[in-house]
Amino acid sequence: MSEKTYVADIDRSRYDFRFDEDESSFLGSGLDSEIVNAISQEKGDPEWMRQLRLHSLEIYNKTKMVEWGPSIDELDVDRIITYIRQKSRMNTDWNDVPDDIKQTFENLGIPQAERESLAGVGAQYDSELVYHNVRKEVAQSGVVYTDLESAMHDERYAEMIRTHFMKLVPPTDHKFAALHGAVWSGGSFVYVPKGVRLEIPLQSYFRLNAKGAGQFEHTLIILEEDSYLHFIEGCSAPKYYEAGLHAGCVELFVGKNATLRYSTIENWSKNMYNLNTKRALVEQGGKIEWVSGSFGSHVSYLYPMSILNGEGARAEFTGITFAGEGQNLDTGAKMVHNAPNTSSFMNTKSISKSGGISTFRSAVVVKENAHGSKSSVSCESLMLDSISRSDTVPAMDIRTKYADVGHEAKIGRISDESVFYLMSRGMSEQDAKAMIVRGFADNVSKELPLEYAMEMNNLIGLEMHGSIG
Amino acid sequence: MSIVKLNTLPCPTFTWLGVNDTTADAAAPVSESVSPGGTVQISESAALEVSAQGGEKRSAVMFISPKESAHITTKVTAQGGSHVTLVQVFDGSKRTVSKVEAAIGDDAEFQLVQLYLKTADTISEVDVRLDGTRAQLDTSIGYLLGGSDRLDINLIARHFGRKTRSQITAKGVMQGSAEKTFKGTIDFVNGCSGALGEEIEDVLLIGEKVVNKTVPLILCAEENVEGSHGASIGRVDEEHIFYMLSRGLPEDEIVRLMAQSKIAQIVGRIADEQVRGRINDIIGRGIENE
Repeated sequence: MSEKTYVADIDRSRYDFRFDEDESSFLGSGLDSEIVNAISQEKGDPEWMRQLRLHSLEIYNKTKMVEWGPSIDELDVDRIITYIRQKSRMNTDWNDVPDDIKQTFENLGIPQAERESLAGVGAQYDSELVYHNVRKEVAQSGVVYTDLESAMHDERYAEMIRTHFMKLVPPTDHKFAALHGAVWSGGSFVYVPKGVRLEIPLQSYFRLNAKGAGQFEHTLIILEEDSYLHFIEGCSAPKYYEAGLHAGCVELFVGKNATLRYSTIENWSKNMYNLNTKRALVEQGGKIEWVSGSFGSHVSYLYPMSILNGEGARAEFTGITFAGEGQNLDTGAKMVHNAPNTSSFMNTKSISKSGGISTFRSAVVVKENAHGSKSSVSCESLMLDSISRSDTVPAMDIRTKYADVGHEAKIGRISDESVFYLMSRGMSEQDAKAMIVRGFADNVSKELPLEYAMEMNNLIGLEMHGSIG
Repeated sequence: MSIVKLNTLPCPTFTWLGVNDTTADAAAPVSESVSPGGTVQISESAALEVSAQGGEKRSAVMFISPKESAHITTKVTAQGGSHVTLVQVFDGSKRTVSKVEAAIGDDAEFQLVQLYLKTADTISEVDVRLDGTRAQLDTSIGYLLGGSDRLDINLIARHFGRKTRSQITAKGVMQGSAEKTFKGTIDFVNGCSGALGEEIEDVLLIGEKVVNKTVPLILCAEENVEGSHGASIGRVDEEHIFYMLSRGLPEDEIVRLMAQSKIAQIVGRIADEQVRGRINDIIGRGIENE
């Protein structure tokens, strides 16, 4: 009897290591004003931030859970540890980082990546940044890349942060945005001055080591006119049986004629609930490019939103999602055309196997004033067995006749015709199927920097053997 | 009278889009159920049935223009190699709530043509179960909306049987400040091996204040299927306009021709010449009025 082609789950052994936590560093689980005030005090917040946290808590308590998407009934936020005190102050030299944390990031290859291919690196361990550094020449160009807390206390940036923080993603946006507003900790602040083009990327890496904890980092990036930045974020955690929670927030302000490329490789462990919110505001002639790989998590809700707010603003979203056993990954993107002659393009792929559930969800909104705007959405899904599930849930809301909007989606399995064609060219059946699956993900991986494309290949870990099923 | 949720999206999405469901007054009870034969005029709430079996071919044509707010339910059953054709033409100035429920058996076919012509306020649901092996659904929807027309369509093709087929084609024109939501779902239920589903929507926006919402879903719990959907929403192609202007046609005439041709592609799928003629009269009046 012939065997079905087998596609392996993602190999996570590289990420499944952990170090014991000192529980005295936990600020306690649950969510009330006492915890929120304690976090605020621990971090030395200015008064406006303490008030924002408390206001967010009020909104959190009043806001209903989402009424669509994967079930998060098993997530008990009252049991999540919202803040873990840092083991050391933020460092700019790897040698000063505590040994177990340093070992963690070395295992993940972060210092090596910094030496070889990055303009700057930030590393967050549980609730706080433990390392942040930028190359001297980058700093000299006026680029600021630091942790958000330091920037908030620096008089040069304090006002900039006060006027931008949670303005794109207000706490009223949804329940987990409110949760984020109440307990956020860590994350990065990037400022690129007018006319500065940073040709090599900056990277932040987020590692959640503690059991049953949450990570609530906030990333705030401001690009002035005519600037360019490629920002990369990576995330991982060891696997525990207790649920973990990631409710981060990313706010990106892309100035006139500026371009921001934001790449993410998300590889949380399969006990994690990834309820992250990302949003970009793009001004006249500016461009946001999202590249997103979603591989980890037990449940994901992730839909980066681009608000095209100035004439001629553009957005691209390229994403891949791989849902294996025990995973329910609900991913996609949202595009809002709020100015004339704006354009958006979405291209996504998803793979479901071994009972995994993958959902592509999108929204394209073209407002009354967005005359001359164009949008194109393309999504493809591959089902590798009949115990998995793949859903496509796009929506378009068009409010002007002066727009052109296109959408196409396909769902299916590996085509027999393609396998037959490749075999007729001399390939074995298993090689043909392996090539088709690799090719399916190829147009996303080629958007990543080389080292991350290799990382993605490593993550996918496609192992093919056998013959036609 | 109590308010009920209607046209519920099988897989709800972002709440702020306002497409997950709509609401209306609960249906008033309808005492008798009639089986239409040939062409019928519906001017009040009604419950209708069309059924065929054992290789039969049945067809029904409904012109729906209620004098008051109305609820119309139509139950379709096609079994054992039979073929049912249902044509519904909505042309009312009062709120109309319509529901078509269909169950299609082995080797049976259901052809549904719906035309929405200047509907004031219409909520329409079509829920089709493709139960039998090789059951087929062919749906053609055309709409010509203008003024302050409101239309909410929720069409669901549920593939249960093996080698089932569904084809959903929607073509429409929106003028004035019309608002339309079209939700089309192809649902591949586990076990429907060999099924195919295709959905296409093509919308021409003419009015300055139109609101068009399109939500095409594919839900898939079966490996051996092929599903696709495509949507194209926008204005009249500028190259077409340029070409026709160069042939001496005025621009408003060009737009009128484009609108007519869009609907004509759906009307052309109706076999009965008399019915087509009557529909074309309604369409002609509608376009003139805009």
